[in-house]
Amino acid sequence: MNPELSLDTLRSCLEGILPAGLATCAPDGTPNVTYVSQLMYVDPEHVALSFQFFNKTRENILANPHATVLMMDPDTAARYRLSIRYLRTETAGPLFERMKATLAGIASHTGMTGVFRLRGADIYRVLAIEAVPGHSLPPPVARAPLLPALRRSVDALSACRSLEHLIDTLTMRLERHFGIDHQMLLMADDAAQRLYIMASRGYASSGAGAEVRYGVGVIGVAAREQTPIRIIFPAAEYAYSRAIREQLEGGELAGQLEAGIPLPGLPEPSSQLAVPVRAGDRLIAVLYVESAQQCRFDYDMEDALVALCAMLGPCMCALQGDALEDDSPAAAHDHPAPDATAEPLRVHYFGRDGSVFLDDHYLIKGVAGSILRALLEDHLAQGRSEFSKREMRLDPRLRLPEVVDNLDARLILLSRRLADRSTEVRIEKAGRGRIRLVLTRPVVLITD
Amino acid sequence: MTSPTVLTPALADFVTSHLSIHLAASDDRGIATLVRGLGCRRDPAATNRLRLLIAAPQAEPVLRALTTNGRIAVVFSEPESHRTVQLKGRDAHRVERDPDDTALLAPYINTLVARLATVGTPEAFVRALLHCPTEALCIVRFTPDEVFGQTPGPQAGQRLATGSALP
Repeated sequence: MNPELSLDTLRSCLEGILPAGLATCAPDGTPNVTYVSQLMYVDPEHVALSFQFFNKTRENILANPHATVLMMDPDTAARYRLSIRYLRTETAGPLFERMKATLAGIASHTGMTGVFRLRGADIYRVLAIEAVPGHSLPPPVARAPLLPALRRSVDALSACRSLEHLIDTLTMRLERHFGIDHQMLLMADDAAQRLYIMASRGYASSGAGAEVRYGVGVIGVAAREQTPIRIIFPAAEYAYSRAIREQLEGGELAGQLEAGIPLPGLPEPSSQLAVPVRAGDRLIAVLYVESAQQCRFDYDMEDALVALCAMLGPCMCALQGDALEDDSPAAAHDHPAPDATAEPLRVHYFGRDGSVFLDDHYLIKGVAGSILRALLEDHLAQGRSEFSKREMRLDPRLRLPEVVDNLDARLILLSRRLADRSTEVRIEKAGRGRIRLVLTRPVVLITD
Repeated sequence: MTSPTVLTPALADFVTSHLSIHLAASDDRGIATLVRGLGCRRDPAATNRLRLLIAAPQAEPVLRALTTNGRIAVVFSEPESHRTVQLKGRDAHRVERDPDDTALLAPYINTLVARLATVGTPEAFVRALLHCPTEALCIVRFTPDEVFGQTPGPQAGQRLATGSALP
């Protein structure tokens, strides 16, 4: 294979922006030619074609695996012939799900929503690539290179000494170096098979605490399959807002609680990319970026964010356990005592699901809810305002998972959710490994 | 076995209405290859035959395969509607280009520019894609003996009975 003519250098031809042609041959020698809805890059030696209908192409490749694809560069119109050999069909798993999501975008792009249904991802080995002679346009003006952006971001992340700093640095660097205007970082709760928004940027509300189930929308599929999911055209069935709505329509009580959290997310994104953040083989989080512009995130952007997340995962793990010194300064402790004559804030805690309501308005549930209840209980009983994470980790009221407690992530979530919802209850840093509960109004805690 | 009735007037009108065209041929090892077509017209000498325009340098493997067995498959698609048919034949071969073939290229390209503009493809792109110097233009003539509906959907690939409605 010509080293300069590799699938890696021709990935823009494999985005599904323009249909490719596919020629196959029946055992009796009769050729067959069709348009291919989706031709997808798998790795430098393999492509996948969407298998949607039982037809002549299908019949032919099962009998004679050799085929030829004619594809074109969507920017320059340069054409290439790929000699390919059918290997196998995948009907589930990461590659299938990536193809299914991509196909949803292509279907919408080509007015075929409701017609396309992926039965399988047909995997082919690429035997040869031939540049077809002919006219082509000059390549488009190169955008800012991604490698320097990646390096600057990695440098910045590696300097972070707390989980919160890491998360803030990530979102800021994505915006500054990669020009990403809309993004969310969702933490994985593997036991509950859900993700919750920890941080977001580019929306009217942070949405901290809003949840999405594994398998739902681009984010949920990326989490369940632990694979990046990228769609470069509008695909309503994968949009976050729609996924959330369908989840709510499922009627679950837990889901209905999230209705109280204002949801971020573009109503109709034209490009979406969700990248799993892992440490080893464990899912830690999902990074989600979206844009109102079509074709905003290409293969190279996916590569860059996958590389960034490969570094982010172990960093998040290390910082969750306070393994590194958190040298960020404590907030100044000059808060006036709450006005004792003011009407108390009613904090209602439900042990069933750890949900907390402030004056009947939903705040949070789960571990984050249990943390707030414990802090308030100790504050009311003992007059304490400062707490160490060490003692919290040992507190059975928090119901932390034993193996990976995610305490830091839960505290960040709780503090952000409180910042979104209330000025009367806050939590803030109080030096290394310590937090402070700050109340500006008397509180009454009701538990059941 | 060729049927003079496969290329009905309605089918001929459709495939010569300046559609997106790809043609494939297969060699004697069972390897099929393909190239983009640059126009299609009825053969003035025989109403059951079609003449396809292609760029010879791009079509080299296709032309080589055609010389070995004459088997051809051609897909025609209307970009705005996705209406698609595939014709097959067994007597395809290269013939001399005549002035009417050459005269077809410019109107074909102009129509494709307009058709593909409706799906957002820029004119410069379409002109680069379909560019062919006159001296490189070559003609393949064949008699369609099978026709298949290929509009995307579960019915794609079904053989259409002679004279049946187009998909």
